[in-house]
Amino acid sequence: MNAKKVQNFVLAYIEATGCQLIEKSPGHVTVKLSPAADRALSGRPFYWSFIDSTGTPPETLTYTWMFEKSPPPEPGAKSTPLSSLMSAGGRTIREQMYFGSRRLAQLFDAVREAGRCTMMFEEAPRNRRTPLESTPYTAWLGVNFKVAYVCDMKREALHEWGISLATGNIDEMFGRRLAGTRLTPRLPPNVHLLRNGLSLRKGLSQLEQALERKLKAQNFDWAIEAEQRRQEEQERIAQYYGPKLSRAAEDPEQTAALNARLAQRQDEIDWQYRPRIEVSVLSCGLFHLAGLD
Amino acid sequence: MLNTNADASARYVHPLVQITYDRTVFEDLETRIERNGPWDNWTLYRLALEAEQASLVTDFHELLCLRTLPAFEPMPHQIEAARKVLHEMRGRAILADEVGLGKTIEAGLILKEYWVRGLVRKALILVPSSLVLQWVRELAQKFDLPAVPHKKMHSWQQDLVVASIDTAKREPNRSLLLDREYDLVIVDEAHKLKNKKTSNYQFVSELRKKYCLLLTATPVQNDLDELYNLITLLKPGQLGEEGEFNANYVQGKRLVKNEEKLQANLGQLMIRNRRQDGGVQFTRRCVTTVPLTLSPEEMALYQGVTDYIREHARAENGDMASMLSLVTLQREVCSSRDAVFLTLVNLFKKTPEHSPLRARIWELVELIRRITANTKAEKTMELLREIGDKAIVFTEYRLTQDYLLRFFQEHGIQAVPYRGGMNRGRKDWMMDLFRNRAQVLVATEAGGEGINLQFCHHVINFDLPWNPMRVEQRIGRVHRLGQSRDVHIFNLCTLGTIEEHILHLLHEKINLFESVIGELDDIVHELEQVQSWDRQVAQMVLESANDQELRERLDRLGDSMQTARRLSGQGARST
Repeated sequence: MNAKKVQNFVLAYIEATGCQLIEKSPGHVTVKLSPAADRALSGRPFYWSFIDSTGTPPETLTYTWMFEKSPPPEPGAKSTPLSSLMSAGGRTIREQMYFGSRRLAQLFDAVREAGRCTMMFEEAPRNRRTPLESTPYTAWLGVNFKVAYVCDMKREALHEWGISLATGNIDEMFGRRLAGTRLTPRLPPNVHLLRNGLSLRKGLSQLEQALERKLKAQNFDWAIEAEQRRQEEQERIAQYYGPKLSRAAEDPEQTAALNARLAQRQDEIDWQYRPRIEVSVLSCGLFHLAGLD
Repeated sequence: MLNTNADASARYVHPLVQITYDRTVFEDLETRIERNGPWDNWTLYRLALEAEQASLVTDFHELLCLRTLPAFEPMPHQIEAARKVLHEMRGRAILADEVGLGKTIEAGLILKEYWVRGLVRKALILVPSSLVLQWVRELAQKFDLPAVPHKKMHSWQQDLVVASIDTAKREPNRSLLLDREYDLVIVDEAHKLKNKKTSNYQFVSELRKKYCLLLTATPVQNDLDELYNLITLLKPGQLGEEGEFNANYVQGKRLVKNEEKLQANLGQLMIRNRRQDGGVQFTRRCVTTVPLTLSPEEMALYQGVTDYIREHARAENGDMASMLSLVTLQREVCSSRDAVFLTLVNLFKKTPEHSPLRARIWELVELIRRITANTKAEKTMELLREIGDKAIVFTEYRLTQDYLLRFFQEHGIQAVPYRGGMNRGRKDWMMDLFRNRAQVLVATEAGGEGINLQFCHHVINFDLPWNPMRVEQRIGRVHRLGQSRDVHIFNLCTLGTIEEHILHLLHEKINLFESVIGELDDIVHELEQVQSWDRQVAQMVLESANDQELRERLDRLGDSMQTARRLSGQGARST
């Protein structure tokens, strides 16, 4: 994510959360947070619980976010979290906002929390032949899956898929379809929703099955290699503890201690190397789109 | 730890690969549909996806941390080290670079990479207590990682905790930490773990951890048992079972056989960059010896103490401990009358009431009374005025430190103290004062460890430690990676005293100041096999009949050091 993309991201967030834009240049933005954004970003749970319990009007914080990297502060200078604590109360807090910065990571977490479940309708087609004609809409379950291939290393892939709850059709390019569609949170006029043939649950499980079919066809060299490493490590500790255990055979206490140590190491090795795939639903929504498919 | 659901519903996409699902968000959708909302903002929904795309780890091998660092450029050897640990050593390694090459940076890169990839969510960093805040600060400033220092019990809840190992291994912390699982454990100054019977070793060994980094600058090759223990902590069995290891590699306590095979084996889990390997550019060291002639009163005291020691050394007849303290007396005279005064008073108190020695000691105290000025301190003032910039004045003695602080203050030079006994907060405060306000930092030996002062490039050795390692540590605070200017070192040397001999040994024979001696730690360690360096030197001082003999004996020590250095250089080339 370059500086330009970061800036666009931040500006979109500011607008979506109703923050008040005070100043803007290509290199920075100064913004007074909305209460919602302040709760998510300022790290002041005690302040907000005080506001909530007393009904006092909140005073939100003002930040200046700079999008260009600059050298780190001199050692000993106050770091970001400290200065933000000390400058509450009217002053502007200056911070770097770049890909990798703690503040942007926090913004990412905030949108993940605030943008996970949605329901949207396609806007009604503009040029209808007769004003009374009703357009059929199909309900789609759109799911954004993250697939993590994990061993002692890790790689991830994103899948923005959708399934028609009317027909069970799966669209692996659903993300692209949504991007090209004008959406609104309100039901447009002259539209009728088709009956669903599938439950939401069923839709998800069909998506998962399709995902697994796709994954099964992939290359598993990474997993085979990780398993080899795992076995090598397991053999190595077996060789290490084997003679120790046979020497301690007479001494039940020592044997127990050695076995405990061995078991811990075995678990650690599995934890470190065992290849696995972890799928998580990042976000999902119900989308009512024009057409019968 | 690893979630190994052995239940029947476990699904596999490959005989080796189980697949698991996290459907929390989908369940949230179901609930919201039942309740007819609330629905999340469409822009935020799209931004969330964009955030995921940007943070996606698309490749097993790329170093993502490099893209996400603040404006800080690691050096090539550090990046290479991180890459090796991540991809070849699989996250369990010993980082054993020589002092000043940036082991902390390497560990930070590795931690950041695992952090960015989501492979490390919980990490524990165990360091000496004097380095806790420095670690927290480096991780924040260089890597933008939210590490916190351990303060109260609830600090352990944090994701990245930096704590002293002594605190961590004590109850109630110990049981709490042993109940947890850490994705990564980092131990700084890991040479403190070399003995497997110590509680430190047991503790780190029992911690449940996925990845583990041990940082040490002290090469452990010198003692094979210690090396074996450290490696067993990371990967038991890497060097074979104990008997096997002994049969394969050990000839004597410090003697290695099958060196090449051992090195190859070590290379699989240890990284050791040396200064001499090149690629790392240091600025120059400019050394000036500042010769001083003691005032007649000071010289009288020095002579008095020296005579006292000579006589007494013969009387003590080989009691090394008390002889050493006598030599200390001689060294203190060269530093300040304050330092020697206290030692004399203590000596006086210890001496039996009717001993004739009491009168002798009192004579010496009388000599001190006659001294009105400190030649060295005055010279130092002169130097500081000439330098007109930040400088560190190192002394071995606490009382000299106090004296100098008073002296500088009286002469209108802002100076702050730094010593080992200070608590963390006070040390940090002194550093800040030195950085922002004071011209001079007066540090005792203990202050030499674990502080980085690259913004300063003048070091004044008010008096010298005898051990070359400690001298190197002093200079290393200033002359290290990140120092952009040449470093000026001034050694104050009182003529006709023991100092002259010591400086001759360190400066002319060993050539300690101008160049960074690679493997210095190895060499000193090697020469200390029989007896500690300080003791060797002290013994020479006591046993030599005259200056001539002392000079010759010190020269021989210097020569043996040069020889060891040449051998070590060859060893390094062959590996």
